[in-house]
Amino acid sequence: MIKLDDVTKTYRNGVTALEDVSLDIDKGEFVFVVGPSGSGKSTLIRLLLKEEEATRGNVFVAGKHLARISTWKVPHLRRNIGVVFQDYKLLQDKTTFENVAFALEVIGKQKHVIDQRVPEILDYVGLGEKLNQYPDELSGGEQQRVSIARACVNRPLVLLADEPTGNLDPNTSVDIMRLLDKVNRIGTTVVMATHDQAIVDAMRKRVIELDRGKVVRDQSRGVYA
Amino acid sequence: MMRKLEYYFRETASGLRRNGVVAFAAMSTAFIALFLFGLALLISKEFDLVIQAWTGNLQVAVYLDDPVAGDTVARVQQKLDDLPVVTEIEYWDKTITCEQYNNLFANQPVFLEGVDCRATIPTSLRANLNDAAQFDQITAALACEDQIDDDGSARQVCAEPGVLRVSDFSALLDRLVVITRVLSFGVLAIAALMLGSAIALVANTLRMGMFARRKEIGIMRLVGATNWRIRVPFLIEGLVETLLGAATAVFALFLVKVVFIDQLRGKIQFFPLIKNSDVLAVAPWILIAAAVVAVIAGTIGMRRFLDV
Repeated sequence: MIKLDDVTKTYRNGVTALEDVSLDIDKGEFVFVVGPSGSGKSTLIRLLLKEEEATRGNVFVAGKHLARISTWKVPHLRRNIGVVFQDYKLLQDKTTFENVAFALEVIGKQKHVIDQRVPEILDYVGLGEKLNQYPDELSGGEQQRVSIARACVNRPLVLLADEPTGNLDPNTSVDIMRLLDKVNRIGTTVVMATHDQAIVDAMRKRVIELDRGKVVRDQSRGVYA
Repeated sequence: MMRKLEYYFRETASGLRRNGVVAFAAMSTAFIALFLFGLALLISKEFDLVIQAWTGNLQVAVYLDDPVAGDTVARVQQKLDDLPVVTEIEYWDKTITCEQYNNLFANQPVFLEGVDCRATIPTSLRANLNDAAQFDQITAALACEDQIDDDGSARQVCAEPGVLRVSDFSALLDRLVVITRVLSFGVLAIAALMLGSAIALVANTLRMGMFARRKEIGIMRLVGATNWRIRVPFLIEGLVETLLGAATAVFALFLVKVVFIDQLRGKIQFFPLIKNSDVLAVAPWILIAAAVVAVIAGTIGMRRFLDV
């Protein structure tokens, strides 16, 4: 599902964020990417979204060689990838329903599809009762659920999560992890960048550790350190 | 399809609302620019009308040597008749010439009393031309040339026997054409400058709109919205601004025509004025200019913002 071949990413200011990284993540896997700040976790996620291009090496996502897909096809690649961030990135002037519907609307989905899928996915993430609330009326955990619902509503093959529990207390974080696990169980490949040690240790999933841009550990059923 | 349209227009409307003051500034600049642009077109149209009216029934006088030798009138008349540009020829003998002279200076007795018309004013052949610009056919046929005298003054000399000189309108015509060109070029230059600032302002409005909505745009990109899906609402927004400006400009031009031009109608003779249909004929050009402004503004305004 995701494959990196000797990928190096050097930014224009000369900083090398990733160096000779090779990875192979299968369909349906759940993978933690861990490491201190500046170790290259976010760069990895940006590469997978083709927000950045690898300086050297090849990146494959969902069977596509990213360096070879043309600019105008990038949006179609991203429709197969859901993304969740630490700061939720919800639109404050839209309700829960509208925030999730927005993701379908802007890729041109029909109204009847939206009216069917949005309540369905919100029910799935446990927000079936809060369709008409605005983000500032929701708790942090609930907002992150909306953001996960938005990432999953188009049924992506891959879910990328960049520090999804970074702003949440431990109990809420556990709830979010249960939800991500649930998403993973229906076949979605999940890649989660984090430095939340407790969560990584509790989940016992594959752990890829980055340090200064290099893979220093790749362990199935691993722990944080 | 309907859903897509609905989406675009909803996004455009909310963009305009959010961006109200700046959108208004862009619209007014577009209005002023397009108004001046239309004005330039109307001014050159007006000059076309005037030149046409003045030169359409242009009459050239071919003065004959005094006294007229036997066959001169018939010979010269034949020569002029052979020219395609000449539509009509009339011979003004001394009687007609003096009648015209008396009419012309009816209010100035000094000229009538002090001048012996029959002795001083030569007889002439009056030729009507269908195209004033072809005036030089006449001088060529009669072999007339400007010569510089010893004292430095210019004098026309015609080789054709019996012909004294030909009244020359070319200098007047040239001047009229130059005035027209300068005026419409001047107004067009101002209009171009204004169109340039309209482009800059509309582009800036779009950019501010995109900046205000950068979070939305960021999310749209992440979930895989195509570039066009993101751009079109902004393009429509720019188009709405310039087209509103264009509509106001056309309205203002009609207003100018009613308030200023129509007041002059009938007061000046031999001076044709632009009509409603002339203003209407300018309208499509204003709309096209508005669309061009919007497209260029869109291209400039969104260039930096929308790399994937």
